[in-house]
Amino acid sequence: MTASRRLPLLLIPATLFLLVVYVWPSLGLFRNAFNEVGPTGAMVEAWSLETWRVTFHDSFTFELTLNSLWLSAVSTLIALCLAYPVSLFLFRTDSRFRGLLAVVAILPMLVSGVVRVFGWLAILGDRGLVNTTLQSLGLISAPLKLVFNWTGVTIGLAESIMPYMILALLAGFGRLDRTLEEAARSLGASPFRTFRRVTLPLSLPAIALAAGLGFVLSMSAYITPKLLGGGRVFVLATEIFEQATTNTNWPVAAVLAIYTLVLLLALLVVSNLVARRLQR
Amino acid sequence: MSYLELAGLQKRYGNSVAVDDVSLSVEQGEAVALLGPSGCGKTTTLRMLAGLIEPNHGTMTLDGSEITRLPAHKRNMGYVFQSYALFPHLSVGRNIAFGLEERGVSRAEIDKRVQEGLALVRLSGLEQRRPKELSGGQQQRVALARALVIQPSVLLLDESLSNLDAKLRDAMRHEIRSIQRTLGITTLFVTHDQVEALTMCDRIAVMHRGRIAQIGSAEDIYDRPATRFVAEFVGRANLLPLARDGQGRATIWDQAVPVEAADDADLFVRPQRMRIVPVSEPAGGDTARLIGRVLRSVFVGDHVEVLVEGAGGQLTVEMPSGSGAPTEGTEVSIVWPRAESRVFAREAS
Repeated sequence: MTASRRLPLLLIPATLFLLVVYVWPSLGLFRNAFNEVGPTGAMVEAWSLETWRVTFHDSFTFELTLNSLWLSAVSTLIALCLAYPVSLFLFRTDSRFRGLLAVVAILPMLVSGVVRVFGWLAILGDRGLVNTTLQSLGLISAPLKLVFNWTGVTIGLAESIMPYMILALLAGFGRLDRTLEEAARSLGASPFRTFRRVTLPLSLPAIALAAGLGFVLSMSAYITPKLLGGGRVFVLATEIFEQATTNTNWPVAAVLAIYTLVLLLALLVVSNLVARRLQR
Repeated sequence: MSYLELAGLQKRYGNSVAVDDVSLSVEQGEAVALLGPSGCGKTTTLRMLAGLIEPNHGTMTLDGSEITRLPAHKRNMGYVFQSYALFPHLSVGRNIAFGLEERGVSRAEIDKRVQEGLALVRLSGLEQRRPKELSGGQQQRVALARALVIQPSVLLLDESLSNLDAKLRDAMRHEIRSIQRTLGITTLFVTHDQVEALTMCDRIAVMHRGRIAQIGSAEDIYDRPATRFVAEFVGRANLLPLARDGQGRATIWDQAVPVEAADDADLFVRPQRMRIVPVSEPAGGDTARLIGRVLRSVFVGDHVEVLVEGAGGQLTVEMPSGSGAPTEGTEVSIVWPRAESRVFAREAS
């Protein structure tokens, strides 16, 4: 056997691992979606579409979907506006601290989500950094409600997806060439016009990639909506967890999980198509 | 005052000096080459002129007004980049139109001038293509057209032919030269290729270690190099070590030669200026001569390179092919007009 024909053997360990810990449970999840809940609240083995019917006739499912999509869209947009300049700086800088700065930019990734949420509580809470500062400056009399609502979740989510988006942008900036901007300048384009006509169009594929990633991460985030939402923010991820643990209604949790998965796959396909169109 | 004046330009990067005290005057319509090895500061000089980097010292004046601190987009310089730098997301036509659009030229006028630009570089009909669908030579012409349609004050070419293969490069050399002449556009051409410099430009500025070593016509540079560096960098050079005999006369290979004696110096003669004659032939009054043994002759198509060895060194003579190369091992006499030789001190480095 030649070396190239032996190459696929490298995939065997990961494949076995994923079969056991991912594919097998996913099939179980799929199976659960067709089970029923008996009068005692216990799951009964069945092949029924009853859970699907009930779930999709419930207007709450529709509300959850809209909540999730809206929250993800806003968080992604905020994170993108913050991550893009950072990535552009990291991509461009000749600083010998470039590597260090890149690590600093993605450092939040290395901190547990729970710890980060408590950090935000300390900053955004009624007696947190922001409110006490604004109050002592006399700008506000009563503390702003920045946590345990949509505002807090949006801020927290935007922050948590930013490092991933910075990495995605850096990876996608491939075609961005300094010389092209110099060419635009030499042809009479001001720095702003150069950004508008050269830098931005050429970074659209990177933006599509990063936005797709940020959106998917926001849609599947659980800790941030749960803890920073204070029980007032309902999205698909929190509802799946509620159904699976508190209500132990596994069929509903399974149906919602599969629904979310399909929704995300559809979004990924769309964002891929967009990115590919822009790459042309 | 000339059309374009560079005076005392200097650019430092930390402790290293990329360009050191470069002064240059260019007349309107003139083509000047900045010739030198990589790292000599030629591209840095061109980029300062385009406003892409700022000099630490010195001034640049264009047509009587100072442009030293003028931002790049207000300079009206047509820059052709080594990598062409065509916008990959725009068609060929939009690439060429870019500078006109930034100048607020009317749509009809843009269309007209883009067509003229395409015709000038013989690419008519390709305006809908994307840059990556073009060959290297075509891309380079688009870059040239894009820089020319804005009717720049000065055309700046940065190693613009170095990414083309030899044949195409030759064709483009003539094409660019003829366009430059037709439009009468003032041109600065950065190159490390001496043939490019010699064939495309009215004057050549040879750069070395951030400074201009010599400015002059192709003949000046080739026949009367000002420094040892110029002599060695442009064309081929024989540098024969000078010594003194008992009476203090100059010698090469222990043979007296009719040049002024100097210590730690070499005598420079171009291989093409030397001739090989039989040892029996007497030398004339204004020719110098050396006797050596033919080591090898190599046929190179249009000429023959003859390597001659003497006591303490070798030299190369280029003679026209077909003129009967001497057989290896024969003792020959090498003669050259005294006026064709120069003495250069040996550099410390």
